[in-house]
Amino acid sequence: MAIFNLKKREIECKVVYYGPGRCGKTTNLEYIFSSYKKQVKGEMVSINTEGDRTLFFDFLPMGLGQIRGCDVRVQLYTVPGQVKYSSTRKLVLRGVDGIVFVADSLEVRREKNMLSLKDLQANLKDYGKSIFKVPLVMQYNKRDLAEQGIPLMPIEQMERDLNRQLKVPAFEASAVVGTGVGNTLKECLKLTLQALQREFKWAK
Amino acid sequence: MDIKLRIKTVLNEAEIYRNQGLIAEAYDRYQNAVNLINSIEKLKNKDSLLKAIHEKILALNYTKEKVDKGPKTPELSKKAQDLIKNLFTFSENKDEDAAALEGAVTLAKFGQFDRALSDLNALLEKDSMRVDAAKNILRCYMASASVEDAVAQYKKWYTGDLFQPQQLETVRHYLEEILQKRGIEADLPSAITVEDTLDETLAVEDTVAEESEEEFLDITSIGITFERGARKGKMVELDVNFQSGNMLSLIIAKKDQDLLEGLDEGVKLKNVQFFSPIAIFNGVGTVVSKTQIKTGPKQGDYCLDIRISST
Ligand SMILES: Nc1nc2c(ncn2[C@@H]2O[C@H](COP(=O)(O)OP(=O)(O)OP(=O)(O)O)[C@@H](O)[C@H]2O)c(=O)[nH]1
Ligand SMILES: [Mg+2]
Repeated sequence: MAIFNLKKREIECKVVYYGPGRCGKTTNLEYIFSSYKKQVKGEMVSINTEGDRTLFFDFLPMGLGQIRGCDVRVQLYTVPGQVKYSSTRKLVLRGVDGIVFVADSLEVRREKNMLSLKDLQANLKDYGKSIFKVPLVMQYNKRDLAEQGIPLMPIEQMERDLNRQLKVPAFEASAVVGTGVGNTLKECLKLTLQALQREFKWAK
Repeated sequence: MDIKLRIKTVLNEAEIYRNQGLIAEAYDRYQNAVNLINSIEKLKNKDSLLKAIHEKILALNYTKEKVDKGPKTPELSKKAQDLIKNLFTFSENKDEDAAALEGAVTLAKFGQFDRALSDLNALLEKDSMRVDAAKNILRCYMASASVEDAVAQYKKWYTGDLFQPQQLETVRHYLEEILQKRGIEADLPSAITVEDTLDETLAVEDTVAEESEEEFLDITSIGITFERGARKGKMVELDVNFQSGNMLSLIIAKKDQDLLEGLDEGVKLKNVQFFSPIAIFNGVGTVVSKTQIKTGPKQGDYCLDIRISST
């Protein structure tokens, strides 16, 4: 539900980080906030509950400057991953233009990833959107934990579990240190802006 | 693997899961460690090890309880509430009061009932907003407090003199319907004696979190029988472009604009046929909005939102 202002040549779009509880969505935004100072256009707002879990959302406004003669602004959001916050999750997803699905690489979270992806699909459908058409990027997070001897799923398995049908771009990441965070976001923005470009045909 | 090494590995995992807030997973690993330790007969500091793990488990239980309970929905700062209102109120309502109503409903959706109630109460002063504000006030009470509170509020309005009889009657009907759905009987005093003078075109109500989610089939198209205008009595079949629950969105091409005659916001459609891949059924609908698309390939076309209910 991008807002496009033809007169002022401004476009504002919404990117949502989705995924199961504790997979690292908020950590992604925190890294972006501290590392992309030039593009960040305001404070990051986090509305949390017990144990730093997201209650409503995190919000981070960014500005990408002029792209094809248009001032592009992006609002980044995270949803609360905890299962019990399903109605808020859906509210935050409303009007989304692009999605980063953050999957947890921990073996013990395998099923949670799949359930969350299914939840995403159902919520998108309720908004009249198809998960196959929406700009979407996968991130396989917490790869650093392999070094500490924690059982992680091999990438091939995660691809099979989550991305076999979708076939969207996927990135390995470690949000705590920042590896892969920028690439994930860049790819998602690319897909999102391409889709908006097709829809609004803003560039001549 | 050497069993001691295995215990160490399992405990390491447990520790990391605990740090990440993965409570169930950490619990499982600690339990696993306990079993491993118990399976070794001669382990040097077995007891102290078991005791240490036991304490970890207790701490974990405590955290779990806190997380499960959470604060239900805390009332946020005004600044955070304003942000929520700005970010999640979608339609670009030009009308100040209508926008305020929408903002209040958004806050209610996020559980900010105190602020929502105070905003809605302010809107009661505006004649054109009164009924919608009242409905949402009742919804807030039912979501945050109790049905009794909602009924008590209605009775207060009934004895007060803010509402015109017709307005109050609309609110009464609204509340009664919700109560009926929940199987609650309440004697709501009516401000109007002859009930059937009721104005049919009730305002469209907005919804807050508690809405009963009815399952709707995927509807591919709908048939509308026109009740007035040049097409009176004729049925026209229109494709449904989007559906979200009981809300249908139809795109009507500019060239078919004449179809829109009479389909104004708030109009009730008493006889609608719904075509879904599985069945055709009849129902009623309300035109929720009619807007002209301003940008993109469909520029100039109209988007018609219809809220439906089957009969
Ligand atoms: N080792 C490691 N830990 C991570 C990584 N990303 C996140 N974490 C940790 O995982 C935990 C949860 O991270 P959050 O970013 O709060 O997770 P979330 O997805 O926002 O969780 P919810 O808000 O509950 O949905 C925190 O303890 C993070 O430090 C990562 O890449 N590697
Ligand atoms: Mg979070």
